[in-house]
Amino acid sequence: MNNTRKWVFRGFTLLVVLAIGAVMFVIGRGHTVYIDNKTLEYNGETYEALQRSEVYVGGERLSKLAKRERTMSTVIGQSFEMKLINTANKGDEPTEVTVKLTLPYGWDGIVVNIPGYLAGLPQDAWMTEFVSAPEPESEEEEEPGAFEDEIPMGDI
Amino acid sequence: MNLKPQGAGKSILNILRNNTVPIMFIIICSICIPISGFSPAYLLNEILTRLGRNAFLILSLLIPIMAGMGLNFGMTLGAMAGELALIFVSDWQIWGIPGVILAMIVSVPFSVVLGFICGKLLNMAKGREMITSYIISFFINGVYQLIVLYLMGSLIPIKHSSIKLPRGYGIRNTVSLLNMRQCIDNLLAIRIGGVKIPALTLLIIALMCLLIVWFRRTKLGQDMRAVGQDMQVARDAGIQVERTRIISIIISTVLAGFGMILYLQNIGNLSTYSAHSQVGMFCIAALLVGGASVDHASIGNVFLGAVLFHLMFIVAPQAGAKITGDSMIGEYFRVFVSYGVITMALIMYEMKKRRQKASIGEQLALAQREGSRHE
Amino acid sequence: MKEKLSSFVASFGLPRLIISAFLLALFILAPIVGVDLPMQITNVINRFSWNAVLVLAMVPMVHSGCGLNFGLPLGIISGLLGATLSLEFGFTGPMSFVMAALISTPFALILGSGYGWLLNKIKGGEMMIATYVGFSSVSFMCMMWLLLPYHKADMVWGLAGKGLRTTISLEGYYDKVLSRFLQINIGKISIPVGALLLFALLATAMWAFLHTKTGTAMTAVGSNPVFAKAAGIHVDRIRMLSVVMSTWLAAIGILVYEQGFGFIQLYMAPFYMALPAVSAILIGGATVNKATIMNVILGTFLFQGIVTMTPTVMNSVIHTDMSEVVRVIASQGMILYALTRKTEVTR
Repeated sequence: MNNTRKWVFRGFTLLVVLAIGAVMFVIGRGHTVYIDNKTLEYNGETYEALQRSEVYVGGERLSKLAKRERTMSTVIGQSFEMKLINTANKGDEPTEVTVKLTLPYGWDGIVVNIPGYLAGLPQDAWMTEFVSAPEPESEEEEEPGAFEDEIPMGDI
Repeated sequence: MNLKPQGAGKSILNILRNNTVPIMFIIICSICIPISGFSPAYLLNEILTRLGRNAFLILSLLIPIMAGMGLNFGMTLGAMAGELALIFVSDWQIWGIPGVILAMIVSVPFSVVLGFICGKLLNMAKGREMITSYIISFFINGVYQLIVLYLMGSLIPIKHSSIKLPRGYGIRNTVSLLNMRQCIDNLLAIRIGGVKIPALTLLIIALMCLLIVWFRRTKLGQDMRAVGQDMQVARDAGIQVERTRIISIIISTVLAGFGMILYLQNIGNLSTYSAHSQVGMFCIAALLVGGASVDHASIGNVFLGAVLFHLMFIVAPQAGAKITGDSMIGEYFRVFVSYGVITMALIMYEMKKRRQKASIGEQLALAQREGSRHE
Repeated sequence: MKEKLSSFVASFGLPRLIISAFLLALFILAPIVGVDLPMQITNVINRFSWNAVLVLAMVPMVHSGCGLNFGLPLGIISGLLGATLSLEFGFTGPMSFVMAALISTPFALILGSGYGWLLNKIKGGEMMIATYVGFSSVSFMCMMWLLLPYHKADMVWGLAGKGLRTTISLEGYYDKVLSRFLQINIGKISIPVGALLLFALLATAMWAFLHTKTGTAMTAVGSNPVFAKAAGIHVDRIRMLSVVMSTWLAAIGILVYEQGFGFIQLYMAPFYMALPAVSAILIGGATVNKATIMNVILGTFLFQGIVTMTPTVMNSVIHTDMSEVVRVIASQGMILYALTRKTEVTR
């Protein structure tokens, strides 16, 4: 009896720990969001870049984007919120937009195109995965490995 | 009337004798601090940072000492488990505090397996646990290199090329932990003047201390102390000595893994092949500086040791450079002091053990003589 | 048949068997994958000649029951003091080797007796304390190499004019003096007869010593200290003698190593030098309390064989250099095996 209870308790603890781990997997996933103010071509239509777009994330101004400019922000978790203050053409009254996005879990880097988003296009038009250019192969990187040479000195 | 001052003098002498190492360190530090010319605010800041990042690691040494297994040089195993977990977590791109928590969870199975192996081997080498655990740490380091340098990326899936070597398998010399750098230290951090107090980290350490105090009172904790006192007596009392010893090493390894993760989140990057190599030695030295010995260590020793040892660590190079004009002298000096302290502690422990053995032998001989007289 | 095999494995030791089989496989593989075998054999023999004396230094302390001498760096430091002083005093050529050996002797005697005295105070905990005595002395000497008043231009840092360099070239001093002495070349294989002769001399002397009255007393102290004491042997004095011998052999051993290697390595270099020597003698079949000259020869050969052969053979088979990992796992595994053998725990 006592033994069964012990095992039930252990199983329960294990489940709780695994559950915490699973939750961490979801809420801790980090993403880098790249915000573009670029002219977008979609289904033959052209969506012009804005004259100016100020990007606020978490109440702080990240950047002031002119045409063809990009800024980036990091976020932990899949919900990303930013505020844009847009000036479409020179002399226009600025408009304020709050953008709430749900980011795809599997993407490390995500590119968001502002003109496409503002035009109300389907998501796959203005949200794309960021693929970094392959690093130039550097053969110089020394073979790691540390045994006898690794003298216990230095700081801690 | 006359006895009283004499008694007091004796007790002061006793205090001095029992705390030779801490007192020596206080003297070294009080000489070096003015010479080094560091400001008190800077020193306080440094000490708090280092306390936050090292205290948990040092705490992991307490339980094997309680179980009579000496200084656990095998805590390096836990550090390696923590590093493995961090490599995985940074490949999965889990950032911030969730990343730290997930790394801790992932490190547990590695730590348990390594701790179990270590405990099993130490049971086969009773009486020379320390040298054996020391060699185990080297051996497992070899296995760790095999896994991280050859199997990761080839057999064990690693997705991101940013942590892989250009050749396609094996992990780079450094893995960036920028996305979880100081996430725990900065949350709830209190800033007074120029001094940053990592409140949450210190809170976690305080909780760990409470947990250790509680653990000592549990049945398992009592068993461990009994095993530490005398294995034969404990066995006669029905305690499973081998099992208890293995558990104490497993606990120590798991805690060392957590400690290493906390340590690395403060540093902000992981030196894949060397981060663990010094951890054991420095933590053991710090604990001993706090006045602990091979068979006795308290939580107080951990904190006193961490503060004094790191104070010495900060000021020695600067003071050495000012005195001799050579910056290397101070660095060598602090390495020498670290090893010297461990050597002294080991010698004192073995001498005490021999004295005790001799006095037990004498008592036995006396008892025998008494016995034969009665016949 | 099966029983016979298993009893053979038990007496020989599984790790030792694996390591020997591994080396055998390397030797067989080498010509197949196109490795220059004669050169490899030359390398193995050369490295054997460099290291054998350091491994021999393990023998006396194992015999007297002091366990494996993890404190080898202490002896190495005596050797380094001898070497640097010999150079500082201006000796060159083969003479500098002889003088280095002579100068290092008093240091080895003094440090060795202090070390022996200490180990007599802490019987039972020798190996751990030996390790840390080695570490502390190496780190202490790091400061000394900087502070001692050496002035010879090719030994000190050029800019400061003081403080010894981390590596000192022995060219013009005793670089390869033993290896070149009576060197024999058979085809592509060259044998450093001089170095091997010195080892043979020391090993024979050790063998002879172990058969003298004092030598047998040493073995008696190691195998049964209580009995030895009852038989009227001064246990502490014999142990002290063994430690001094071991320290002196380590001092000579590092000089032999340097003449082969061509450089004096100072500062943290001696730090881990005990570990290869310890694992070599264990691979050769020694245990924590038993070691013979044969163990030294076999062990040094096997260990150095693996160290030299693995990188080249591995490289040509799988195109990666896994030799470091193999070496660490094999050598540390061997020490671990020796430390955890049940039969040896009782002492």
